[in-house]
Amino acid sequence: MKQHPLCTDCEPELDITGLPIPFGLKREWSAVETRRQFLGRSGKVLGWAALASLLGEAALRGRASNDAKNPVTPQGRNNLGLPHFAPKAKRAIYLFMSGGPPQIDLLDYKPNLASQYNKDIPDSVRGNQQLTGMTAGQSRFPIAPSHWGFKQYGKTGTWVSDLLPYTAKMVDDLTIVKSTNTDAINHEPAIMFINTGNMNPGKPCLGSWLAYGLGSMNDNLPTFIVLQTKTNPKENNQPVSSRLWSSGFLSSEYAGVGLRSGGAPVVYLEDPDGINRDVRRKMLDALEEINRQTLAEVGDPETNARIAQYEMAFRMQASVPELTDLSKEPQSTWDLYGPDAKQPGTFAYNCLLARRMAERGVRFVQVYKRGWDVHGDVVGVLPVLCQETDRACYALVTDLKRRGLLDDTLVVWAGEFGRTVYSQGGLSAENYGRDHHPRCFTTWMVGGGVRSGITYGETDDYSYNVVKDPVHVRNFNATILACLGIDHNRLTYDFQGLDQRLTGPQPAYVIKGLLA
Amino acid sequence: MIAAERVAGAARTFLQRTRIPRSEWISVLCASILLVALPFAFHLDGHAHADWLQFIGRLHPALLHLPIGLIVLLPVLEIAGAKQAALREAAGFVLRAALALALPTFVLGYMLAYGAGDTGAIVTRHMWGAVALCICLMLCLLARPAWERERGFAYPALLSATLVALLWTGHQGGTITHGSDYLTRFMPPPLRGLFPSSGPEGANLDSFYTRHIDSVFEAKCVACHGGGTEKAGLRLDTYNNLMHGGKDGAVVVPGKPEASMLLLRVTLSPGDTHFMPAEGRTPLTSDEISSIRAWIRSGATATAKSVPGVSVTEERADPAPQPVGDYSQFMPEILHMQQAQGAKLVPVSAKASDGLILRTVDIAPSFGDAQLAEFKKFGPYIVEAELGRTAVTDACFDTLRTFTHLRTLHLEGTSVTGRDLAKLSSLAQLSYLNLSGTKVSAQSVAPLRSMPALHHLYLFNTPAEPEDTNARSTP
Repeated sequence: MKQHPLCTDCEPELDITGLPIPFGLKREWSAVETRRQFLGRSGKVLGWAALASLLGEAALRGRASNDAKNPVTPQGRNNLGLPHFAPKAKRAIYLFMSGGPPQIDLLDYKPNLASQYNKDIPDSVRGNQQLTGMTAGQSRFPIAPSHWGFKQYGKTGTWVSDLLPYTAKMVDDLTIVKSTNTDAINHEPAIMFINTGNMNPGKPCLGSWLAYGLGSMNDNLPTFIVLQTKTNPKENNQPVSSRLWSSGFLSSEYAGVGLRSGGAPVVYLEDPDGINRDVRRKMLDALEEINRQTLAEVGDPETNARIAQYEMAFRMQASVPELTDLSKEPQSTWDLYGPDAKQPGTFAYNCLLARRMAERGVRFVQVYKRGWDVHGDVVGVLPVLCQETDRACYALVTDLKRRGLLDDTLVVWAGEFGRTVYSQGGLSAENYGRDHHPRCFTTWMVGGGVRSGITYGETDDYSYNVVKDPVHVRNFNATILACLGIDHNRLTYDFQGLDQRLTGPQPAYVIKGLLA
Repeated sequence: MIAAERVAGAARTFLQRTRIPRSEWISVLCASILLVALPFAFHLDGHAHADWLQFIGRLHPALLHLPIGLIVLLPVLEIAGAKQAALREAAGFVLRAALALALPTFVLGYMLAYGAGDTGAIVTRHMWGAVALCICLMLCLLARPAWERERGFAYPALLSATLVALLWTGHQGGTITHGSDYLTRFMPPPLRGLFPSSGPEGANLDSFYTRHIDSVFEAKCVACHGGGTEKAGLRLDTYNNLMHGGKDGAVVVPGKPEASMLLLRVTLSPGDTHFMPAEGRTPLTSDEISSIRAWIRSGATATAKSVPGVSVTEERADPAPQPVGDYSQFMPEILHMQQAQGAKLVPVSAKASDGLILRTVDIAPSFGDAQLAEFKKFGPYIVEAELGRTAVTDACFDTLRTFTHLRTLHLEGTSVTGRDLAKLSSLAQLSYLNLSGTKVSAQSVAPLRSMPALHHLYLFNTPAEPEDTNARSTP
């Protein structure tokens, strides 16, 4: 039977080394263990004590000298030796288009498709691509050209759909990647894969790796914040869960902090009536004392994480109201973002918040926008999605740019996969649907570290296969890390016997062609 | 006549003294005459000849390194032979072997150039270098027996000449294969400074041609179509040469990309025999091709600065950051100060010489000029000062001017008035200055325009804001 750690009269002392928990955790545990814990535990057995006096001293000396060499500064993790090289971007904002935006209707212009309306996609193009359960039963795969026209914009002459009039205005700044591709064809594995580098849950996401590796820039706000956009019932919303911003095997300090999309951004943030700051402080001090006792007794690093999170919550009581108070925004902000930005929970509002977070030194902000899963009624739903996001994306980039933040902020726009050129369900002159497509999808980046005004990679005439410069999700993530001064091969964490990293055990490469 | 007789007399005495058999010197003379006559008999006229010539000629690179190795071995054997007689004995054999290989190498090389129709100054120099090398080697062979008996300077001098000829010829060969800058291209910058680089002569440095067309040719074409080799008589190394075309006429028809041979050849399918760049060299990227196409369509001028419908956002290269030196000695002090004051000095990266960032965001409202002044001591190591929304005032510039390596300065949302901005002019590396949301006026930022490195100046929400609010102001 398990003993409560604070139960002082328990017979067998709780021993971390005997628990059925991952080795990595045990090791991390022993790394934070104090001399007292170590000697206290090993003193049980005479032999252990002897060993402890030999090894313990050496180990402690070793650690002490390490500390002198790599002093741990208040913001934390300098002992990791990061960034590996001088970064171009200090922070990143990730606009995540959950559901899989249809690249053929937005940025991947395929003029030749118009003449092939309702013809079957050639088998040679489709190859052995696995189909989802939603189209596997279809007898034919009729080509659905985009319903919308495309025009060339900017000095770069980039083709952009009529659905994205605002994005079209900034194409000369964007780094458009037409050849992003992934391994998974369904939402959950694909969205896990692009966020954590693994289709199975349990691995830390990009934001957690950044929080772990680079640490915080502002002690009063979380290092990694997640903003969800309120769903629109007209759209096909796939679930987005906290697994996507989980810290996996890293300490929970590095998990994303989700702000709510409606009502108070953080619940119970305000002190209840009758409790003032001092009382709250005293309560937290007492709580911390108890937590420290637990830590001394058990040595679980997650206790440390808990202490840190309470302190963060206390500081957020002061910093979050200031962060979310938009009353001092000048009129130019509202002119830029549009009226939606005044409604909490809209994508425009979240983009504005993301800019404010970037200003205040939040390392990584991820804004989720659901609803891009357009299996049917593309003609009806896609304009709504674009109307919700197009102007806000442009506003965010422009706002960062005019305030001088785009030089060291990386903005990424991506979904988990693309959509098929052939219609799911019936194809008519007025409407069509598009199924999931992992072999190619279009993403864009802009800001610190990436080459602006380029289109990278090419797809074939059906936007089905990548024909030039493929960018696998692994390499996409490696490139993002590179912009932030991180060598993806060197940001690792030993867990389950493997030097875990965001890009997984398979080789991954930074796409040099995307870098400035 | 008398002079000729005198030379002949001297040669006769020399031959008698050195006891070179008649048959040997006559055959060397004949071989030399043959070598020298070859280029005149089969002139390198820029036309390709029979395929079998190229077929055999392509073995030239496979063979040429062997005689080079042997020739380099020669002086080693001769010198070491002073101690070990066996080595000197071997040198005789090595010399013969070197010659026996050098002659076929030359012939193969000539077949390669003649067969493929290579011409140009470098090819010619390479060829004459090889002729000289072969003759030197033969003379070495003649002079060596005498040297073995009674020493003298003839053989060492000839051997030295051989080595010089080898070096020269090899260098020309390297230039043909890898381009004229093959030695300097990847040289560390300090060394490279010793070599004067030849920029595009007479061309407009700012033109679309120089920046986007010439650079493509330079990287992918001039190895075969340049000053060194002129395959098909075509040189792409300057604008005039490009427009002059090759032996088959013009390759660029201004305004008509579809009629321009140049574009045609690079857009064929890579398997086509006429596809360029030939022989499996790196093809042009689609971006490069579309730049060339748009440039031809717009008239193919040497001076136009931009071309409608084409890409290219300029990356204005910020100067390479200067290393700031090692601050690790100050680390305890820095840490102590952080704890006392709350503002942080954060390393830019794991490399100490990348410098420190002064980060104040945690305590911004209480961070003023006095707090900033405390960082004076670490000033030379600070490359970025994040002072946005702090309480600093115009007095901060007196401290900031001592941050000699400062590259990035955030002063957005502070109460600086811009009165003292001129004090920043001593910061030669300052490339980013953010004054958004301050009260600076257009007049007060004027002195900043004279700072050459300052490429990013932000004046959003200030009286000095330019008309076009979205524009990133670049002085």
